[in-house]
Amino acid sequence: MVAVEGMEHERRSEAVARLGWIIGAAVLLLVVTVQPFADANVWWHLALGRLITSHGIPAQEPFSFLPAAHPWVGQQWLLDVLLAGVVGAGGAGLASAVLGVVAACGFLLAALAIPRVSHATGPWLAFAMVLSGVVASRLIGVNAEAVSLFAVAAVLYVLARWREGRAGAVWILPPLFLVWANVDTLFAVGLLIVATTLLLASVSRSDSAASRGHLAAALAASVLLTLVNPYGPGLYASVITTAADPAIAQLTASWASPDFHTWWLRLFEAEGVLLVVLWATSGGPAPIDAVLGIAALVAALWSEAYVALFAIIALPQIALYGTRAWRLQVAPRVSSRFRVPPARARLLLFGGLIAVGAAAVVAGARQVTPAAAASYEASHYPMAAADYVAAHYPDQRLYSTDTWGGYLAYRFPTGRVVLVYDQGSTFGDAAAQSYTKIHLLQNGWEKVLRDDGIAHAIVLDTSQEASALHELGWVVACHDSVSRSVVMSAPPPGTTPAAAGPLTAPPAGSPAC
Amino acid sequence: MVLSLLPVTSIIHDPDFWWHLRAGQLILAHGGLLATDPFTYTVASHHWTMHEWLSEVLYAALQSRGGLGLIVLVLSIVTWLGLLCLLLRAALRRPNAFALGLGLLLAAVAGYPIWGPRVQMITFFLSALTLLAVERHLLRGGRAIWLLVPLFVLWSNLHSGFIIGLGFIALILIAEVSGGWLHWRDGAPSGRVRTLFYVLLACTAVSMINPNGPAILAYAFLTQGSGAQQTLILEWHSPDFHDWVVLPFGILLITLIALIAVNRRLRARDAALVAVTAALSMQSVRHIAIFVAATTPVWIDQTSMLLQKMRTRSAARRPQRPSLQFRVFTFSVLMGALVIVYASIRLLPAMRVVPNSLAYAREYPVCAARWLAQAPEPLKIFNQYGEGGYLADALSSRGDKVYIFGDAALMGDPLLYTYAGVTSVQPGWDSTIRESGTDIVLFDTATPLANVMEASTRWVKVYEDPLSVAFVPSNRVRDVKLPPVPASYPRGDPCAQLRSTAVDTTAQNQ
Repeated sequence: MVAVEGMEHERRSEAVARLGWIIGAAVLLLVVTVQPFADANVWWHLALGRLITSHGIPAQEPFSFLPAAHPWVGQQWLLDVLLAGVVGAGGAGLASAVLGVVAACGFLLAALAIPRVSHATGPWLAFAMVLSGVVASRLIGVNAEAVSLFAVAAVLYVLARWREGRAGAVWILPPLFLVWANVDTLFAVGLLIVATTLLLASVSRSDSAASRGHLAAALAASVLLTLVNPYGPGLYASVITTAADPAIAQLTASWASPDFHTWWLRLFEAEGVLLVVLWATSGGPAPIDAVLGIAALVAALWSEAYVALFAIIALPQIALYGTRAWRLQVAPRVSSRFRVPPARARLLLFGGLIAVGAAAVVAGARQVTPAAAASYEASHYPMAAADYVAAHYPDQRLYSTDTWGGYLAYRFPTGRVVLVYDQGSTFGDAAAQSYTKIHLLQNGWEKVLRDDGIAHAIVLDTSQEASALHELGWVVACHDSVSRSVVMSAPPPGTTPAAAGPLTAPPAGSPAC
Repeated sequence: MVLSLLPVTSIIHDPDFWWHLRAGQLILAHGGLLATDPFTYTVASHHWTMHEWLSEVLYAALQSRGGLGLIVLVLSIVTWLGLLCLLLRAALRRPNAFALGLGLLLAAVAGYPIWGPRVQMITFFLSALTLLAVERHLLRGGRAIWLLVPLFVLWSNLHSGFIIGLGFIALILIAEVSGGWLHWRDGAPSGRVRTLFYVLLACTAVSMINPNGPAILAYAFLTQGSGAQQTLILEWHSPDFHDWVVLPFGILLITLIALIAVNRRLRARDAALVAVTAALSMQSVRHIAIFVAATTPVWIDQTSMLLQKMRTRSAARRPQRPSLQFRVFTFSVLMGALVIVYASIRLLPAMRVVPNSLAYAREYPVCAARWLAQAPEPLKIFNQYGEGGYLADALSSRGDKVYIFGDAALMGDPLLYTYAGVTSVQPGWDSTIRESGTDIVLFDTATPLANVMEASTRWVKVYEDPLSVAFVPSNRVRDVKLPPVPASYPRGDPCAQLRSTAVDTTAQNQ
């Protein structure tokens, strides 16, 4: 009796310690998930959210002076509206904090998406969370990816419970997909995960046929509920068009394959290698885990945008197979003094983790103050340059890169003065080619400027566009030294441009914006 | 193996080939290595580490005896021998014949972005040979492993890639020792591992027997540690899986991962080779060849294991086979036909291409170089990085100098970054060119630099063909003595053909 009570006590303290590790890691992850407006797309989403709040969802692309090639599908309309509401209520800092917490909760949920009987240890869970969090950190932020990451984690959690025999858990999926389909296109990946699990996963329950029936019904209901969106079944066509459109790849850097010269993608690579090593050394993965892991890896190698998806799918697997591999390969070979420390030491350890996390959060909280948000905007986006343009060239067409195009859409939501921003599927191939002609100075770049009636530009002071426009006789109207941008203007029509000397960076003698 | 001949043979696409060839000719002419490079006006004072001197001499010797065609033939054979080493290494583990054939074919296709007449093929072959020797030693023992020692003397004089061979041996040693500690299955006997350690020491020692001495060991790491090379040179970029030529490599990698996950059985040394070479190939496209050399036999082994499992489960009946004579006859006919097809569609066409031909005029500034060769005085030419080697080969004998060429370590990171600033037309590009003492800018048409110079009033266009365009500073038009631009070329001349194909393409586009 005493022995049973002792075991029960030991199990409880282990569960508490495990929860402590997970919560500690989630708190620590807030340091990387709470981010300023680093993703430039947030600006046009914010502008769109305000527009939807006041006028409803627009039927056409609302900011660019280019004719849209495809109908406007504001697929993230719900997120845009919520974002506008949150920013309106508490400024950019509150939006950063809210989406940071959502992403951290996603990692927490993914860590819990493990069969309870596997007894994954706290340190492995915390390690997997921190590793995946850092790998995904460059792609999440104040954007739909953070929400999708949470939603994928929720799907994995529900499916883990279903595999344990809790068939009722699957009914969380339909409302989840209802919301998700109005927030991000990645909901389609969520449906694929559910469908694959339905086909491949084993269920620990005697009436597995009935259990599979539950999941199949929940999947069908989820698919039906995803149709409840402003575009109905057209949303699926939009998802396919977006995925297959070459203009997207042209306008969106994150659609390219990963560049493994950057440290965070090296970390992604390390996570991939670690996962395979753990599969091989832990007695092999379950078929569903292998399929999901490899599919996510293929997607991430194809396009950097899916690295966060890989990270969240790999998280529970690293914790699970890491624990198993340790027990099989390492634990029997290390001396007893290196084995699991006593409960008190473990409690101290995760207490320390929580303390470190809390300290990091306090330090990071400074980043979400209104002053910090304004300073970030001024240094990373052409804020002063946009002020200058608003004052001197109202309602006139502007050239800028697609990255800054989103910010300019936010600054000039009316008047259609922006060329392009990161919404390639709407603009189409022709617009993408026009833009890249100027951006990459391809043959005929000057003609595109003339034909589109663009007489002003906001570009980086070290950019090739600045040099090229200078050679056409454009003059630097002002220089924004904080964001290192310049406002350039074409010579008035009918005048012969003066023979210019070489442009310098920063431009000599130009006034401040 | 016969089919794998097809992807390993091509004309010369490696832009560095040309300066290697010229360097080899200069070594033979001078009877020794050069201390500084004779090609550039920017880094002429830098010490030149000619780490590939023996390959360069080999190029020059082959070229003088049989032209470019002989070099194409020899390097195709070298690459193919590398694939043969993969076959022999895989065969040591008695694999399934189907897996063996499929694996080799996949390897030959996966390495396609890298194959071709280039010095790296020597490293590919010698890497594969080293791994074959090491695997054979760990499985069977014997003294043959000591043959690696003279091999490394040769290799360290052929290419700085010998460091990869040393790295492979060291990695296998670490994996075997760690695997032994973890009681990993299929480890090699400790005596053989110890012998391999002594072989590694001997190989490291003898690899210093080269004109650069021990410095060659540090030199080999220079490129890997150069930020400019990793960022600016295309071949050092990560593979772009949107490019179809990289997809077979992706398939090789992903299927290998899947096989490991399914079989759950992997030697420690195989695991180490897969992990390290996968990381290298993810970093740079050029390392795909190393990945292929290291992992193809592992892929074949893993596929064989899977097929074995499936066969055990299904217990399929053996189908009745036709007679031996019939099989030998059919096999011989098929192989003969494949060899004829290979020779007629790949080898002979590649061998027949001469330097002054349309095939090369489409890739290298052949016509512009011919024009510049008529200039009355030597010129200092600001050129495209990938074309510096060709221009050095074509014009250095006249005393013309280029701004940059493909020996990135010799160029150094500062020059590479400066060059990148000019080609991406960053403010200050104009003064960078002028202050370097450049007489003429020869660049590809439709590049940002060419298009901005075209728009600039400070530069004058003096030459243009479908591939290249040349500018001189407007204030030096009279100082720089240039030959007249040919109004037309004789019929059949590659430059005439280049012009007519460009006209055809323009008409089609319109």
